[in-house]
Amino acid sequence: MLTTAPHLRIRRPSPTTAEFTVTTLPPQTLPLRLLWLLLLFLRISLSVTMLLILYARWDTPAGAILAKIAATVSLPVLLPVAVAVFYALSLRVHKQESLLVLRGLGVQTCESPATYLAGAATRFIPTEKIQDILVNEAFRGFEVRYYLVVVVEGEEDVVVVFPGLLPKRKIVETVWRGVRECLYEGRGEDRGLASDK
Amino acid sequence: MHPFSTVTLGIFVAGYITARWDLVTRLYELAIFAAEYGVVLRAARGIVVLSAFFLAIFVPVALVARRETRLHDGLMRVFWPTDIRKSDRTGVVVGWRNSTLDVFVVTILEDVDAHNVEFHLRSGTFFRSGPHSPSRIYDLCGHSSMHVLGISNAASQSAVDPSWVCAKTSTNSRYPRISCAKASSIQLILYDRPHPKGMQYISLNPIALALGDKGSLPEDVASSEDDSEETKQEKAIKENRRKLAEKLKQHSIVRRIASARDKALPKIVNQVNWSWELEQALQQNVGRLGPRPKRGLSVSERVVESATTMRNYVLVQLWTLFSVYLFPIVQKAFILVLLFHRMVAEILLIVLEFRAKPGYAALKDISATAQQIEIRLQQFCYWPMQYVTLRQRKANWASVTTSHPDYIRFYNSLWLVANDVIIGMAVGSYIIEHKDWVADQIRDLLRTYTVEALQRGISWLMGWPAGLKLNGELAAFLGDLFLWVIDYWSSCIETLSPMLPHIIWFIGFSSFAGASMPIAMFSDLLSVLTMHIYSFYLASARIYHWQLTILRSLFHLFRGKKHNVLRNRIDSCDYDLDQLLVGTILFTLLFFLLPTVMVFYLNFAIARMIIISLKAGFDTLLSCLNHFPLFALMLRLKDPSRLPGGIHFELRDTHESKIPDTNDKLFNEPPTSIIYLKNIPLPFHDMFHQYFQMAHRIRKHYLSPRVLLCLVTGQFVPPINRKNLYSLQYSMLPARRATVWEMWRAVNMEIDIPQKKPFHLPNIPALQNGGKRPTGFGRTRSRD
Repeated sequence: MLTTAPHLRIRRPSPTTAEFTVTTLPPQTLPLRLLWLLLLFLRISLSVTMLLILYARWDTPAGAILAKIAATVSLPVLLPVAVAVFYALSLRVHKQESLLVLRGLGVQTCESPATYLAGAATRFIPTEKIQDILVNEAFRGFEVRYYLVVVVEGEEDVVVVFPGLLPKRKIVETVWRGVRECLYEGRGEDRGLASDK
Repeated sequence: MHPFSTVTLGIFVAGYITARWDLVTRLYELAIFAAEYGVVLRAARGIVVLSAFFLAIFVPVALVARRETRLHDGLMRVFWPTDIRKSDRTGVVVGWRNSTLDVFVVTILEDVDAHNVEFHLRSGTFFRSGPHSPSRIYDLCGHSSMHVLGISNAASQSAVDPSWVCAKTSTNSRYPRISCAKASSIQLILYDRPHPKGMQYISLNPIALALGDKGSLPEDVASSEDDSEETKQEKAIKENRRKLAEKLKQHSIVRRIASARDKALPKIVNQVNWSWELEQALQQNVGRLGPRPKRGLSVSERVVESATTMRNYVLVQLWTLFSVYLFPIVQKAFILVLLFHRMVAEILLIVLEFRAKPGYAALKDISATAQQIEIRLQQFCYWPMQYVTLRQRKANWASVTTSHPDYIRFYNSLWLVANDVIIGMAVGSYIIEHKDWVADQIRDLLRTYTVEALQRGISWLMGWPAGLKLNGELAAFLGDLFLWVIDYWSSCIETLSPMLPHIIWFIGFSSFAGASMPIAMFSDLLSVLTMHIYSFYLASARIYHWQLTILRSLFHLFRGKKHNVLRNRIDSCDYDLDQLLVGTILFTLLFFLLPTVMVFYLNFAIARMIIISLKAGFDTLLSCLNHFPLFALMLRLKDPSRLPGGIHFELRDTHESKIPDTNDKLFNEPPTSIIYLKNIPLPFHDMFHQYFQMAHRIRKHYLSPRVLLCLVTGQFVPPINRKNLYSLQYSMLPARRATVWEMWRAVNMEIDIPQKKPFHLPNIPALQNGGKRPTGFGRTRSRD
């Protein structure tokens, strides 16, 4: 309910700049917004409760329910549980990965992190370093996945775009066409390549 | 044309013709002649041929050229600083032109003439009063001069060059609006100016906190055959990957040639780094373009002026007195002292690194203390060189970023040493004050764990441990042997124990040279005081391994086979009956004795492993004290832009600029994308990269199945190659240290530089009435 299948959003303010975002965030409707608020409230209240339990363990105010709970649990159990709860509460619900294409500069991949505490991990690849951009296929479990790859010159590892979500072939193809059109100046060979792929 | 002058011209022509009538008749005859001989026809044919040529060749070429230009260069890229002054006044946009449609804006000069600015930029007037030579700027930014890139807030666009940028800035909009006659789409890239005085900068690659000039460490290789298998495997994997990458290169179908715009990125990074200083220089000197202030000084201004002059004169005199007479003597004395210390350090280093034969262990390989001393001495040898390099930074523009990693490294190592000494003083004074107590504790620990625990363990093994029925006689023999040696050892320790408080006092005293010293000494002390365990381990491992080898060959005999050494394989063999009989009896005997030997071996092996892990703990502490990236961590918290880890771009929403304007007819804005260029601060895991690498190496070495196999078969577990383990310790030091002579030269060269450094006068307080001062013209003007 809170997430959907990965879908593509394109922002393209000018023909030479485009951002392709694959996200699991559903379109914002009123019930969804309410749900979000509820979830936020739940998160905050849970973390406050956890903090209070920790405080009760530290200071032992007499008579409170939390203090009783805190007193029953031993410290080596309580601390890891607290850390686990805080981690679980800071987890993001949906994932978002994007590819920013700037003609003349390069491409930049961006992944939203797993938790709200960390910043987004970005990687910028200058045009000079881009050897090729291609769609490849790979086995993953019992299925075949198509994924977009940037081959970087002078590096042994290729850079996989949308590594966490690995969207469907249709999305990958759209992005591939968009990237080639946006990154390189339009010449005949591109169109030829696009049709035979 | 005026009617009167038309009439005049007509009258003149008519008069001329009547005066020269014969000319007209001649022309008439010429026309008749041409008609008779077919000249008209030929001329017409020529015209037809020429126009055919024109239509067939020139028109298509022009069309193709126009189309090409539209395809090729519709995109305009504008780098725009975020902190540029936003005002509604007209101005001239100044910056670098990397290619026709790729411009980098440094600043906007207001209320000046564009052509005048262009002339002064070309002649370099702006940098004439700069502190350093402007050639360095042009060198790093990749152009021979700055350019006028366009105009801002111009009233009309009639007198504008087509490749010029027309910018519209206003105080209430966040982004400027850019248009250009030649551009069909625009990338507007906003950047924050890094502050070079605060040593901020951006770079494409992460800043290197370790020194990168390590090809291979000298002569430390000693035990290269230990890791041969692992390194071979690693090499094979690397080779495989390289081949794959090569194959991938052949798979790319279209080889694209990078355009000038693609190649400009490193240049642009430099331009971003320079932009703050350039902007300052331009804005300060913009007053040179206009008329100078002519007003004379008032009486009060004159009084203030002469007072400050007097004060400055006195200060300058005092300063010259100090700098001419006192300072050189102090400096020379300091350098001589430094050089003397450097020579002593050199002698010590030679002693520490002395090897009887190449490949033998030097003193620093055996003892942790020696290694610690060596690291400190090496650092001491490197500091003057580093300091000299850093001083040279002052003699150049602040925007030259090459020495910033050196700065971080230098102060990191200084800070670590200072920290080390501070902690060391606390630890040392504690140890010295409680030396008897500490000595007692150590003696107790030694007795309980290295003597009594061993004795108890051995006597436990001599009975039937955990219900295992061992061979009583052999167990008693081995146990008695070890117990006897332990007794002897403990008596040795007892005779040594009155010395222990003195040793502890010495260790405590040594910790005034840093807390790392007592740690290294304790590590050494541990290895000396547990020597007996090491020798027990060696002896029992030898016996165990020897027995296993015999068992294996006897097992082959038992099966009627033997190991062919020449072919390195198992062959069948016809043994005689007596051979088989004796062999089988021996096999049985040894097989039943094996558990007894094994439990003794395991006992000592476990003790040995515990000692190794203790020493590993000491080593980790040492490497933390010696090479923790403390300075970098503090910088990361204080000012993340001083530790660049790359750049990233952010696409901003553009709908704000779509607001209709009053004079939009003048301003046909092509589709624009607004991008924000940002610096990525160095991630934390990059700072601790070397620690991760070291942990990875240790894990791979000690937790590999090979080591387990060695342990089980009683072979000697190879210690990890010291080169791998201590590469962290040496990562901040150059592979080859500078000689005494090089240091002498560098330090003496360094003396010459500060002579040129001018004495900084204290700030003269601003005058009340606008402060138009002949010395600082233009300074006030640029600020309005």
